[in-house]
Amino acid sequence: MDYERSSSPLAAVPPPTIAQQLAAKQREISIAEFFERNRQILGFDNPARSLLTTVKEAVDNSIDGAEEAGILPDVSVAISKESEERYKVVVADNGPGILRREIPNVFARLLYGSRFHANRQARGQQGIGISAAVLYANLTTARPARVTSKVEEEDAAHVLELVLDTQKNQPRVVSEDVALWDRPHGTSIELVLKARYQRGRQSPLEYLRGTAIVNPHAQIVLTEPDGTKVTFPRASAELPPLARETAPHPYGLELGELGYLLKSSKRPSLGEFLTKELQGVSPRAAKEVLERAGLPASTKPPSVLGPDQERLLESLRAVPLVAPRSEGLSPIGAMLIKRGLRNVLGELRPEFFAPPVSRPPKVRGGFPFMVEVGLVYGGGLPADQPIQLLRFANRVPLLFQQGACAITAAVGSMDWRRYGLDQKGGSGLPIGPMLLLVHVASTKIPFTSEAKEAIAEDPEIDREITLALQAAARHLRAHLSRKSRRDFASEKFAIIQKILPKLAEKTSALVGKPVPDLTPVVTKIMDVVNVETLLEPRASDVGGAVEVTNYTPRARVLELFLEVEPELAKLATFSPAPDGTEPELGRAWWTLPRLAPNARTRLTVTFPKRTEVEANDFDWYIAGVDEGRLLGADPLPGDWDVRLPRAVVEAAEAAAEEGAVPVADEGTEVDYDAAEASPQARDDD
Amino acid sequence: MPPKRARKPATTTDADAPKVRADALAPTVGLAGEIYRQLADGEIPRMRLPLRTKQNLSFQMREGVWKLGRSMGTRSARKLDGALMLLRTFYLVDFINEMARDAKTSTLRELYYISEGWDEGKFHSEDESNLLIEDLEVLCDRLREDFRLHPEENGASVIGDLTIKERNRKGVVKTINCRDDVGDGGYALPFNVEKEKIEFAGTNAKFVIAIECGGMVDRLAENGFDEQHDAILLHLKGQPARSTRRFLRRLSEELSLPVVVFTDGDPWSFRIFASVAYGAIKTAHLSSYLATPNAEFLGVTASDIENYELPSDKLSEQDVHALEAELTDPRFGTADWRSEIQLMLKNGKKAEQQSLAKYGLNYVTDHYLPEKLTEMGVL
Repeated sequence: MDYERSSSPLAAVPPPTIAQQLAAKQREISIAEFFERNRQILGFDNPARSLLTTVKEAVDNSIDGAEEAGILPDVSVAISKESEERYKVVVADNGPGILRREIPNVFARLLYGSRFHANRQARGQQGIGISAAVLYANLTTARPARVTSKVEEEDAAHVLELVLDTQKNQPRVVSEDVALWDRPHGTSIELVLKARYQRGRQSPLEYLRGTAIVNPHAQIVLTEPDGTKVTFPRASAELPPLARETAPHPYGLELGELGYLLKSSKRPSLGEFLTKELQGVSPRAAKEVLERAGLPASTKPPSVLGPDQERLLESLRAVPLVAPRSEGLSPIGAMLIKRGLRNVLGELRPEFFAPPVSRPPKVRGGFPFMVEVGLVYGGGLPADQPIQLLRFANRVPLLFQQGACAITAAVGSMDWRRYGLDQKGGSGLPIGPMLLLVHVASTKIPFTSEAKEAIAEDPEIDREITLALQAAARHLRAHLSRKSRRDFASEKFAIIQKILPKLAEKTSALVGKPVPDLTPVVTKIMDVVNVETLLEPRASDVGGAVEVTNYTPRARVLELFLEVEPELAKLATFSPAPDGTEPELGRAWWTLPRLAPNARTRLTVTFPKRTEVEANDFDWYIAGVDEGRLLGADPLPGDWDVRLPRAVVEAAEAAAEEGAVPVADEGTEVDYDAAEASPQARDDD
Repeated sequence: MPPKRARKPATTTDADAPKVRADALAPTVGLAGEIYRQLADGEIPRMRLPLRTKQNLSFQMREGVWKLGRSMGTRSARKLDGALMLLRTFYLVDFINEMARDAKTSTLRELYYISEGWDEGKFHSEDESNLLIEDLEVLCDRLREDFRLHPEENGASVIGDLTIKERNRKGVVKTINCRDDVGDGGYALPFNVEKEKIEFAGTNAKFVIAIECGGMVDRLAENGFDEQHDAILLHLKGQPARSTRRFLRRLSEELSLPVVVFTDGDPWSFRIFASVAYGAIKTAHLSSYLATPNAEFLGVTASDIENYELPSDKLSEQDVHALEAELTDPRFGTADWRSEIQLMLKNGKKAEQQSLAKYGLNYVTDHYLPEKLTEMGVL
């Protein structure tokens, strides 16, 4: 996983005898050669992909930089064609800017960065990305990178032209200038490189679209080579909480890393080092560790060397410690997933945005991780193709190696047919108008390769992804079943609202009698209790009503139950007020006035202005009528620990009084129009 | 939308419109009364109708035709389709009663356009309106003419020594001989061929030959087949209209003439014969009025294709499907028909009647027809 270890070409020492012969050939491999040999893992193996990688590295840096400085990111990407296979990329941001003295190292030196040793989640981590792009540009077009950066404290921007010295892995400043820049702070990098611009699945556009979805607080503008301008506007003015840097946890610590920490520690004693610079080590545990390792507590950390380091690490692993904390994670969060998906997919008018699923953080090998899933269904999404799967690792879209990714494997190993989608043989990507967003956040994501294109399969991560997918899929199934009931109901409503009144009017006129009261017929045709929520933003608030209509042939006392996200429940005002509530669960309930057949009652509901709430956010449950006679609500689940509702008792008593109601045996009758429409019936002329 | 056709003048006001029975519309109001009662009693409105499906055909031994059986279906307002058809029924009843008040009639096509004003009740195709009218015929035990609805004249024609008296538009009774008083097109049948409109005034013909295609009618006329063999030629024009079938029935019944049916040799032509001789599925409620049980199938038969070595086409997939469907059609349940259908399936060939021209223009009248008619005992 670690860049230095896995790819150091000089690690192997040849056996002594041959060594002599080989010694002559030994020489340091230049950075250029190293790059050439590792193009693939660095993401520069062909012109189209090199362009995407360049955009990705620059944009990741821009967003990371702005976020760290508490700035809402504004990133613009402009790609223009200079000649066949030669493109210019300009990525500019409104980040904090980079100090003059840091600019050369940040952009033109491999393995230089501020995040490598930080134990928190970040997009880039190893300090290879943007410098590799600069190197690639240097190598393919012999053109320097042009960096403009301005920090708030200075009046002018520094403009530097940089190349990476491939012999020494050192930046070389080709030219330098200062210039006025019409922004308080920010950074812009301009590169000319061998590239090919394309659209489609693995393109800069798709990468930026994905980035916009998971970063709704960022505004991203892309100008394509043909001049097309695509804007992903900011959909949220809130910055995601910055992942806190946490001390490394011993469970995930490697020997070399421990050595580095010990060497650079300023703590006066090893005891303090263990409790303050590592995570999860209590004073009591520290004592036990030191005893096991046979090291005195007062030892100065830098003086712990060689075998002592090894014993220390072994002891750390042997003693029970507090599990790693998850503050180092920066999940997107349910609200922002929803907002981001809406913002980018809104034009497709999807019929359903499932409530996003955010699994609680889990720990794997000393590093916390968590999984989030968003699901969008219907509308303009193609119905006859495999679903769109958007994979993200630490808020970065993964565009390549879909087939090799743990996310894809988890999606494919679920039987989606159980949730209402088509899936060939019950495995693989399901078919249907659906988009799935899966985000894995971790301070250390196990990628399959250095190019960070796919997450390696891991039983713990797989389990979490599967649980999150199942939760989202259950929402989908509920939506689809509600939809089919709604279709059924809309047919019934058409009958009772449009057709029946006209039929009554026509036949009454033909026989010359007054139009009869249609209530008994209406309730027989419908035979449901309907719950309908109408909610809309208004001048001073967000509000509307919940209407409960008794379309059954019998008067009923009903009990109405509501479940909504607790945060929303806190903001809601109902009239009449609920008869009971459980605020921490977001629950409220009412006993409704007795409803005669075809009668309706309504509750009004209001939220403060600009509350993000819609009818879909309410889950309604009704007691007092059986499941088959409910529309827009479900029967009260058994796990609601409320007293037996009066409505249930009344309904049971009423049913007992009525005895068995004879049901018209229409089930055995042949539907005339259906029979007439059968193809066999039309054999004739 | 049905394809555009030349527009006919709007509903005609004419003293000589088809005679309407005085009580013709009473049953329609009765239907409304029944639905009204259901609504007032809090019952979901419904109607029961005999199913007009292939499976519900039953053979009437006494009349020799296939009529509707006892299977009933229900049209209920519980379902959207049923509710719509019920509503349409009463828009239609309303319209019919209105026409009666104003002494008007309407073509089926005009009715289709009239329904534009029926909101939800609007017909989506002319097929739909025709089916509903047939439903109303069944429910009220009336003919669509009783409802003042008629098809556009389709001009099926007759050539031969048959004298008829037709009361024309102006109320004048004209005596017409269908051989001597008509042009090459023959006598064109009006849509109303009932006694009040057409009476038979004499014939010397010995049989009627009903023919599927116009080209074959012309061939027989040009070759003088009607005179040579004392035949009446009746052009069926594909699947024959009600008036054509009714006219044929009257020829057979009132003049006691044998009727033979001469069509192409393919599955669709078998169905033409079935609707002429046995009754059509959709109008099975009218079989005793429209079907000609004495009609016999002359050809082209599957064995003719072999025996006469006729130029043939391969059966298409739809042809095979149609033949297989016929094997489950009770009207084709006789041993003769079954072996005919199975032979066609086995040979996989079909032929047009005009393929007989392979042997020259006179072959059909000099050889094929005389041979077949002799075999059938007509000549």
